[in-house]
Amino acid sequence: MFGYHGRYLRVDVSRGKADYVTLDESVLRRFLGGSGLGVHVLLAEGAAAIDPLAPDAAIVFAFSPLVGSPLTTSAKFAVVSRSPLTERVNDSLASSGFAIAGKSCGCDAIVIVGRADKLSVLVIDDGVVDRGVDGGVRLESAEEHRGATCRDTEAALRARLGANFRIASIGPAGEHLVRYATVSHDGRHAGRGGSGAILGAKNIKAIAVRGTQRVEWAHPRAVTELSRDLSKRSLGPATAKYRELGTATNLVTFNRFGALPTRNFQSGTFEEAAALSPEQLGATRAKTRASCVACTIGCEHIYAGVRVEYESLFALGSLCGIGDADAVLQASRRCDELGLDTISTGGTIAFAMECVERGWLDQPWLKFGSADALLRAIELIASREGIGDLLAEGSRRAASVIGHDSIAIAPQVKGLEIPGYEPRALQTMALGFAVGARGADHNRSGAYEIDFSDKVDRRNVTLDAVRHAIETEDKAALMDSLIMCKFLRGVFEDFYAETAAMLHTVTGWDVSADEMRETARGIVAAKRQFNLLAGWTPAEDTLPERFLKTALPNDPVASLSRERLDALVAEYHRQRGW
Amino acid sequence: MHVEFFGVPRERAGISEMEVQATTLGQLFGALAARIPGLHQFIGADGLHPALAANLNGDRFVRDPETPLAPGDCVLILSADAGG
Repeated sequence: MFGYHGRYLRVDVSRGKADYVTLDESVLRRFLGGSGLGVHVLLAEGAAAIDPLAPDAAIVFAFSPLVGSPLTTSAKFAVVSRSPLTERVNDSLASSGFAIAGKSCGCDAIVIVGRADKLSVLVIDDGVVDRGVDGGVRLESAEEHRGATCRDTEAALRARLGANFRIASIGPAGEHLVRYATVSHDGRHAGRGGSGAILGAKNIKAIAVRGTQRVEWAHPRAVTELSRDLSKRSLGPATAKYRELGTATNLVTFNRFGALPTRNFQSGTFEEAAALSPEQLGATRAKTRASCVACTIGCEHIYAGVRVEYESLFALGSLCGIGDADAVLQASRRCDELGLDTISTGGTIAFAMECVERGWLDQPWLKFGSADALLRAIELIASREGIGDLLAEGSRRAASVIGHDSIAIAPQVKGLEIPGYEPRALQTMALGFAVGARGADHNRSGAYEIDFSDKVDRRNVTLDAVRHAIETEDKAALMDSLIMCKFLRGVFEDFYAETAAMLHTVTGWDVSADEMRETARGIVAAKRQFNLLAGWTPAEDTLPERFLKTALPNDPVASLSRERLDALVAEYHRQRGW
Repeated sequence: MHVEFFGVPRERAGISEMEVQATTLGQLFGALAARIPGLHQFIGADGLHPALAANLNGDRFVRDPETPLAPGDCVLILSADAGG
């Protein structure tokens, strides 16, 4: 078999036991890797019926056929589990050397079950399982790293184990089982859905991998030629935004379109948006750029040492009513250090701020616009102290405690806090959020692209939008399984044919564009199958009542009724054949 | 009419807005290509590169060069890949 090892490494950290489990070629061809393979393995492990924070729960670190190849942006891995935040499927992706080193351990995925008896680091040294507890797969104490930030943990473990180890770790938030804690590696994060809490529940502070086992490619020369061509195209106009400005530039654009979520979605415009623009961030701060391993785009724009992304700026800025750029950067830095998903952190804090404003929550210090309150709340959440213990549960669970029908303003779908796209102003995206397998998600549905095109009227979409939303969801599923960075999506002229060619050069499979399209749909269907087993009901495919009862105050045309959303969702299910 | 730039077009143009005389979208594209060399890669008289988008008055996205423009219109030129 080319491109794969044909097996995954299953580690039971309760028993200190590791085994390889065979992956048939037919399975790999259907699910590819990353998100798709992760969901398949989860289904095989019966994870849909298990409390994600229970010892028996499985968490999958899935690699892909392209990892380790010179194809640009392919050094990525997926962390797949049942989410402790949503209790539905969760696939979060992160980048860089962990993917290459993990696959070099001789496996296409690492599955962890069980619970270590003390805080530990799982060391996978070339994945050789027959060396016993002191050999290729072992647990070492991580007690000395308890409470350490992700970055400090990574640095300390590389110093201890060897510089050629690559480390994925959790911060204090994961140790405290914050339901939206991240798994972090090299400054990147498998951010959404609480993968960090699962590792925390397993007493796993970090996973350290290094290996020497490389796969062979079916057509090495063709891989090199395709890689060269793709790298060249990755430096063209289609990725200029990411190279020159980064995603932070979205904030001012979205504000102009009245689509920038502000003060817990009470408005689509923020009067201080300009203060958070790349131009202003760069005016008085040192700026550098960086990229993931094996990436030619280099989308990371770092201001005063803080990597800035639109989603963090919106969630910790406009959503909380904060235009103080220094405070937003500090909040973003702390979330990264503590291992918190910035979107869910900002969303949950903004929700609490509105509850305080309405008199539903007695925390008078927690006010929109207060940078001190934002920073204080972040620390409390990560440590689960005071009100932080409630907010660490996410906005949906917090609403069930706060009462007062606050669930209507909890900014979440299936429990996952909504990213920075105002659903009433971007209604194809509203559909994408409503039907998303892991909840409201801009990485699994790229439907906002349709709203920013001449294909729909973004504030009054019709059923014609549904096919476009499905198309973006299918493409995302394929990219997340191959795996390639979505910032490449604009460089493809014939997405399915070109990705089929890539897969062919690596695996030798005679795959067609049509097969790739079917594979994408099959992966989306597998996520739905998982959710059905986990208890999904059609009532979950919706948006909070706020969006369906109230037009956007800054743009009354932007109105989305329950009847229209329901019709869109029904048509989505019909076209999916569900 | 009024033209506003966002994202890469703003970066390349070095300005956030300008006034342009045009009666169709194609004329506007031609004027922008002539006046802002930094946008050559993205804008020609025959249309926009797929990496950019144009919006009329914040309401609807337009690409057809024949799209008529009125003096009071505001055209927004932005990066098409608005997400991330």
